[in-house]
Parts: sequence; C-alpha cells; structure tokens
Amino acid sequence: MLKCDYCKVGIEGEQSRCPLCGGLLQGEADGKNAFPSIPTIYEEFNIMIRIIMFVSIVIIVLSIALTLILDIEKKWYLLVIAGILCLWLSFIFIIKKKDNIAKTIVWQVVIITILAILWDYSIGWRGWSISYVLPSVCTAAIILMVLAVRILKIYVGDYIVYLLIDALFGLIPIVFLFIGGLNVSFPSIICVATSVISISALILFKGQDIKEELNKRMHV
Amino acid sequence: MKRKKPVEWTKLDNAAKIFPPNTNEKDTKVFRIASHLHDTIDPILLQESLDKAIVLFPLFKSVLRKGLFWYYFEEIETKPIVSEEVKPPCSAIYVPNRNNHLFQVTYYKNIINLEIYHALTDGTGALWFLKTILLYYITEYYKEDFKDNIPQIDYVSTESQMKGDSFLKHYTGPVKKYRVSVEKAYKISGRRSLDNRINIIEGILSVKETLAVARKYNTTLTVYLTALFIYSIYQDMPERSRKHPVTLSIPVNLRSYFLSGSARNFFATINIKYDFRTGNHNLEDIIESVKNSFKNELDESKLKEHLNRLASLEKNAVMRLIPLNIKDIALRIANHINSKGLTAAISNLGKITLPEELEKYVDSFGVYTSVRRPQLCICSYKDKLSISFISPFNNSDIQKTFYRLLSEEGVTITIRTNE
Repeated sequence: MLKCDYCKVGIEGEQSRCPLCGGLLQGEADGKNAFPSIPTIYEEFNIMIRIIMFVSIVIIVLSIALTLILDIEKKWYLLVIAGILCLWLSFIFIIKKKDNIAKTIVWQVVIITILAILWDYSIGWRGWSISYVLPSVCTAAIILMVLAVRILKIYVGDYIVYLLIDALFGLIPIVFLFIGGLNVSFPSIICVATSVISISALILFKGQDIKEELNKRMHV
Repeated sequence: MKRKKPVEWTKLDNAAKIFPPNTNEKDTKVFRIASHLHDTIDPILLQESLDKAIVLFPLFKSVLRKGLFWYYFEEIETKPIVSEEVKPPCSAIYVPNRNNHLFQVTYYKNIINLEIYHALTDGTGALWFLKTILLYYITEYYKEDFKDNIPQIDYVSTESQMKGDSFLKHYTGPVKKYRVSVEKAYKISGRRSLDNRINIIEGILSVKETLAVARKYNTTLTVYLTALFIYSIYQDMPERSRKHPVTLSIPVNLRSYFLSGSARNFFATINIKYDFRTGNHNLEDIIESVKNSFKNELDESKLKEHLNRLASLEKNAVMRLIPLNIKDIALRIANHINSKGLTAAISNLGKITLPEELEKYVDSFGVYTSVRRPQLCICSYKDKLSISFISPFNNSDIQKTFYRLLSEEGVTITIRTNE
C-alpha cells in the first residue's frame, strides 16, 4: 500500500500524489482501486444546433444589410426575423420534449396553429390560417401519432392522453364551419371527420386505459 | 374478453416530494452504497440475484412520472440490468420523460454498487435491497458453503409495510404555523470539476480505535465526528466569515423513533449549529456544544413536529390543487432559501449488519451521495468504519485537516479516492 508520511495515512490503489496534501508518496501501489478511473466527460453543444444557429444569424444579418444597402423603404427584414424566431420557437419545443414523441406532436400543433393565426392577423387577415393550417396540422398530427404508435410501439400511457387532446383539438374547426370565415371548407370537414373517428375509436377500444391514465395524472 | 392487469401506481412519500424539482446535473440526488467482497464479481450471477431480489421490492420496479398536480411512481415491466461501472459515482439517474428505473446496480472488480434516486427511498430502504441482493449473490457464488442452511435476511417487513408511507401513518395534525427565519450560514466555496462529478475521499478506519478516541473525549462516535468536522471547517474558514455560524444538516432515521416497516423515505433533518463569533474554540468546546444540540434536537416531540410538517404538505387543500409546474418552482425557491442556512452535512447510516453466515464474504461497505456542499457519509461494518468525505469541489483542505486530526489521535487510516 502507498503511504503519505505527512498525513500519516495509507492509500489504496494507484495514485501519484497524496489525495489530501498533494505530497509525494512512499511504498508500492497495491492496485486495489475502489473506483474505476473515468475520463472527464465534456458535454459539447451539438454541432447541428450550432450550424442551424449560425445560418439563422447569417440570414438575419444579410437581410438587414441588404435592406440598408438597397435603401428599401419597406422593412421586409422584420418578416425574415419573425419567421426565423418562429422556427426557433418550434425547434426549441422539439428539443425540450424530445423524449416523448406524442407530447412533442401536441406541442407542435398548438405552436404552429397559434403562430399561423398571428401571422395571418399581422399581414392582413385572409383567413388561410383557419382554413388550411389549423385543419391540416390537426389531421396530420393525428395520423402521425397513430403511425408513430404503431411503428415505434409506444407504451400506452405515453401517448393516450396526448392523442385524446389532439383529437379534441381537431374538433375546433366545427366552430368555423358554423359561423363562417373559411375560404374553403373541405380541409375542415376532413379534420373534424378524422377527429370524430379517432375519438370514438379511443373511447371504444382504449376507454379503460384513458380512465386509468387520467386517474393517475389528475390525482390531487 | 381478456382483461389485462391495471398498471400499479403510487404517490411519492412526503420526504421524497422535495427531490424531483431540485434534481439537476449539479445535484443528481443519487446516493450509492458500495459493498466490497473478496472475489471478482460475476455479472451473470449478480443479474440473477437482482432478478430475485426485485420481486420482494415491487416499488423498485417503478419509473417517475409527472401528473398534472403531483409526481407519481408507475410500475414498469422492463427488467433492470446490471452493468459494469462506467460513469462517475452518483451520476444522474432520473431524467424527465426518460422513463428508466430509479436505481442501478453496477459492479467493478470485487465491488457491487447500488445507486438509488433519493425520491424512491432512503439509506435504510436501499440497504435492505442491497442486503437482499447480497444474500442471493453470496449463497449462489459460494454454493458449497451453504449446502443445507440458507441464511435469512435480518429484517422483517411485509410487502404492504414496505410500500407504505410512514409519514402518513404517524401524522397527527398540522403544525402551528410559524416561520423560522433562516440564519445565513458560512458557505464553503471552491471550483467544481468540468463534468460536475463529486470528489470522494473515503477513509477506512478501525471502529475500535476511533471509538476509543471518542471515549477519550467522553462522548459518542457521532458527536465526536460531527465536532471534528466542524473543527476542520473552522480551521479552513477565513476570519471575516466567522460572523456566520457553521451549520450542519443531519438526516435522522425516523424508524428509530416511530414504528415503521417502510422501504421508502422515512427521515427528517435536524440542524446542528456552532457559532465562532467570539472567543477561542478548541475541539472540546465544540464537542460540548454539539453534544447539547444533539440532545435538544433528537427529542421525540421535536421530531414529531418535523414529521407533521412534512406530511402536512400533502394535507393542505390549496397546496394540492396548484399545478405541478408551479409547485416545482415553489419547492425550488424553498430549497434555495433553506440551503442558504447550511454549511455542510453529515449522514450516518450506522452499523451495517449481515446474517452471521454471510459476514465473512463481505469486506466492507461504503456510502456516497451527490452533494451541493461538503458532506460526510458514515457507515460501519464489523470493525471497518468508512467515513467518506464528499465534496462538489476539487480542493481538499478541509479533508486534509479532518483526516490528519484523526491520524494524529493514533487512528490507522486507509484512504480511497475516485480522483
């Protein structure tokens, strides 16, 4: 065993210096390490994220620079910045929720719909957000979630509540179908139909699971 | 029609509720109990022993999930797998949405490690589980020695007792609302390592020798080591910081005071404070003060108050209806305020015993935990006293003082470290 003459202690395993005082050691190492030596783990920022971040900055800077050089009256670069910020907002939520696919999809439906309505509103209301974006995003989400569940064999508790939320969200276009304001009605009809079919399938075949899952999640 | 069995789920016990919101890379809330055997570990046998042991500890088959108002444990089917030790001690186990087991069994050479996320259980519960694994492992590995008598583990608890929340069992009513303002304590500072790993310096001492030193000072081992720890911190303390007291937080196993067979958390923490503002301070003074503080704090009615306070968190109707995300923030703030009043911590797992027939196959035990401030983790087995000095920082000045003071008393010390 190694020994430190200053601290008067024996030291197990291989050490070049005394862990207490940093002094030199006497004797032979006994090879009885109590812990494996594990190299320092560096958590590097993902390279892909850094590239996307860099590209975003370049686009924003170039659009501002071009506007200034060409002396354009209209501040179109604000649109570019808003667009990139929206992409980032959606991207951040994907990263944050990445361990649960169903949760990620629901969050995306909500974020994309809200952002689309804001865009539609801020560049003069033409109704495309509620005619096209809302119904197609909802329909796509339901189909995507069902596919993900089938292919990735996701555990029932991990998706069932989110699938239900998504399907309920897909009923919203009914409101617009009745009060009007839609440019075209077929996307909304498809969306509502998909939702109604999904909800009835969920209740009929997974009713017990939904009940159990809600019991667990809502306990106070 | 085939009916599948509903998924088992359990609420967190009242001491556990504080852990999930305060878990992060710097403080993983994971602790480890290591058992040193004499021979190299056989991974296949270890896996088999774990498979057998987990049947007796159903709660350990859980993952931690988030509800709308509270966290909860949910049983999973997946089998826990033993693996060789490849991560620094007490690395993160609970990662939100990851849905993995809240404990891990690893091995390294002749050592079996059990690492547990603290929300699941405390040291006592973990030790029961590790002892059960050891029982199966040793009786299988040294089969010849155990031909006709298989030893039994030395704790008795039924499944429902183990799963029970003892806080609720012993809860008698809400505590009178009073707010103890937190007195800012002296803070030890230092540099962390790049990957936030903890720095362990473990001393293996002889119980007899150390006890003799404690007797010389007319006190118990716990009081002596606590006082010695405070004294070592004092030696390292800059003079201008002496206006703040040194406060140690010490978890107390409530099973020693209130009847419980629970394999979940059942502890409360007491604070031991020492003020260095005036006068000279030698070890004897500190021992005297620590002895009195222990006597005051370890009073059954005071511990009952701690217990009731922890349990009342769950009984408060308003508190219950606050969404989890907001509760999380509140508990983080509470933890932050509380930690301002703490300098360091000591946890003593006490004397570890095994059934007599198994004793000769195990050499020693060690306890380690993730820490936000320096902490001593103590346990003993036969004549081997393990004192682990764990620090989030890289410097080892207090450690040096602490172990040198012990070796100057004539105690033989062997140091183990993860550096």
